[in-house]
Formats: sequence, structure tokens, C-alpha cells
Amino acid sequence: MGPLIPNGIIPPEWDFVIALLIGIIFGYVLEASGFSSSRKLAGVFYGYDFVVLKVFFTAAVVAVIGIYYLDYLGFIDISKLYIHPTYLWAAIVGGIVMGLGFILGGFCPGTSLCAVAIGKIDAMAYGVGILIGVFIFSEFFSFIQPLFDGSNYGAITLVDTLGISPYWFIFLFSLVAIIAFVISDLVRKKVKKIFY
Amino acid sequence: MSKTYKYKKIIIRRRYRILAAILIILSGGLVLLPKYQKNVGIKPETFLLNLMSPERYISTDFLANSLISKDPSILLIDVRSAKEYSDFSLPNATNIPLSAILKPDNETYLDQDGYKVIFYSNDNFYADQAWLIAKRFGYNNIFVLKGGLNAWFNTILNPEMPKTSDSELEFQKYNTRKAAAMFFGIGAVNTLNSNAATPNIAPKKIILTKTKKKTTGGGC
Repeated sequence: MGPLIPNGIIPPEWDFVIALLIGIIFGYVLEASGFSSSRKLAGVFYGYDFVVLKVFFTAAVVAVIGIYYLDYLGFIDISKLYIHPTYLWAAIVGGIVMGLGFILGGFCPGTSLCAVAIGKIDAMAYGVGILIGVFIFSEFFSFIQPLFDGSNYGAITLVDTLGISPYWFIFLFSLVAIIAFVISDLVRKKVKKIFY
Repeated sequence: MSKTYKYKKIIIRRRYRILAAILIILSGGLVLLPKYQKNVGIKPETFLLNLMSPERYISTDFLANSLISKDPSILLIDVRSAKEYSDFSLPNATNIPLSAILKPDNETYLDQDGYKVIFYSNDNFYADQAWLIAKRFGYNNIFVLKGGLNAWFNTILNPEMPKTSDSELEFQKYNTRKAAAMFFGIGAVNTLNSNAATPNIAPKKIILTKTKKKTTGGGC
């Protein structure tokens, strides 16, 4: 049956409508769970709040388990899902830049827009920073292009690279997630509480 | 620390444990579930529906008409052996023996949108088998020449003279077929010889474009 759009069950013209709806819900959930606070986001780096880690890990585990159950039951064809191609060095450099920006600004791009929406001035400054970054990136694109297009490994996944069964990988991944939650909780208890 | 706070703490801790247990059970379930071989291609129901429909058959008259009018959209595939193919074949046909139909090289001939692929063999049995295999993979635009080369020979190259009591339409059809036979290199009735059938059709250049696989594009 699925994925719904490539199989023509939902016409691709609905893409923008669906994207808008998901965006609104995503923004609402981000804001409702306190992700528009840069103190909460930065907490994961200083060890007093691991909500970011928990949320992203939980999202990944729940999604991967759900998708594989749907695939097992024949509702979704996993081979038809989009896998973002791996540009190894671009991803490493981009990750470092993103991480630096995250810890300096206290937002990631999505949460900064969320914080702009509730009127945070630091988030607005952050948004302007994003635009400046986009401008610099575009102007220097010809310099960055070899890195941008280089070291393309195609649409590979960890399962392909490690050569293990995806089911075992998901099981181990869930265990790692739970261990990470427990350890992060222990760390949070050790670190001095910060009220925000 | 008040009593209710302690109590709440215990509840939350228990809740986390339950959630963690659910995660482990669900992911462990994936490991333990019996694995089964997923079938590629179309669903059995769709396959049966396709199988029952006679839409796949193309008549020899239609094929003769397409060949004479130089219809660029047809792609003839001869599923007989290479020897039979070299002995006699329809103009501009490509030889893919039935045993080689699943070879990856031949996939581009079958899995494409550009041409109407028409299978033929001596009768339509082998061609039907090739059609079944190709249809099973969900390839579209595939057809079978009804009656195969025998029907081609009996209707186009050597059509039977209608009886005098037959309708005007039958005579028109006969004349068309005779004209088609002349096109395919057969002059008079008694000069019939299968090897003499050398049609004056220029060899066709076949450009194959593979069907685009349906995947989701994009990302964030």
C-alpha cells in the first residue's frame, strides 16, 4: 500500500498541504514541550537537561520500529522510502558547523523559528544569523562545491554498511537508547540544578 | 521532601520503566517474528485479473497494419530459440529466447514505457509464458501476438480465399491481407515461400528508456 504519495494513493499535489499541516503540528509540539527555550536546548551540552537527546532518540526508535512493523505487515514498502545520500566529509564539516551554532546560539534552525513565533528577541537575532549564513554560503558556493558534492557514498544505511539484519540493529539501537536515557538521567542528577 | 512528591517520583520512575519495557518488547518482537520471503511484483489478485483479460492479444491484422504504416511504437520480441529466429522472423524483431527472458540485460526491453512490446512465438503458447513472467514483475505495455507465427502465415502471408457466399467484408479483408502479403514480399499466390518473405522495411533503431522507479524524493 504505502508509501502513500509514490504509490499514487495521495496525489503529489497534496504535498504542500500535508507539509503545512505536519509543520504546524510539529511547531506546536516543539513549543509545547519547551523547545523554544534556548536554555533547555543548551542543557544537553552542559548536562543539566537531556530532553533534546531523549526526544530525538525516542523519535528515531519509535519511527524505525513503527516503519519496520508496517513493512512486515505489508503496509509500507521500505525500498521505496527516500534515503538521503551520504556525503561523508560534507556531513562531518556541516555537523561541526551546526553543533557550534547550536551551542553558541542556543537554538537549532527549527526551534529558532519556533522561538521567533513566540517573540524571543535572541531567536530573531539567530534568524538573521541564519540568513547571513545562507548568503555567505551562496556567495562562496564555488569554493565549497568540491566538499559539497564530494565523497558521495550514495543512499547507504548503517544496515548496509555493517551488514547485519535490520531487526537486530533496531533491537540493539533500542537498548542503546534506553541505556543513554538512564546514563543521561544519572548525569543530570550529578550536575547542579539550574532553574529556568 | 514531602510525601506526595516522593510518591509522584515513584510513579514517574515506574512509568519510565514501563515505557522502556514496551520499547524492548516491540523491538525484540521484530527480531523474533518469523521472517517470510516478500514477493516482488504485482499482487496475485491483480495478476489473475490481468491473466483472464484477453486485452493482451494483438491480432495479426493489427500487427500487419502497424508494420506497414511503420508504427514506431511497437517492439517485436521473438521468444523462440536463436536458430528459429535466424531462420525466419518478423521484420525488426528482437530475439529474446524464453529461457533468457529473466536475464538482467533484457530487463530494459520489457520494463519500459516507450514501446508496445509484442511477444510472439510459433503459436502463442511460449509468447504467453513470456508475457506471464513479464507481467508478474508488473511490467506494462506488453502484448502477445494471437496465434503467433502460424497465424501470421495463415492470415497474412497466405490468407484463405473467402467462399463466394461470404460477405463483402470478408473479401475486403482478404484483399487487404493479400496486399499486406505483397508488402511483406510475397507476389502471387503460388510463389509462397517463407524464406522469400523479405519485407522492404528499413531496420528500426530501438532506443530503450527504462521505466522510472517510483520513490519518494526530497528530504528536509
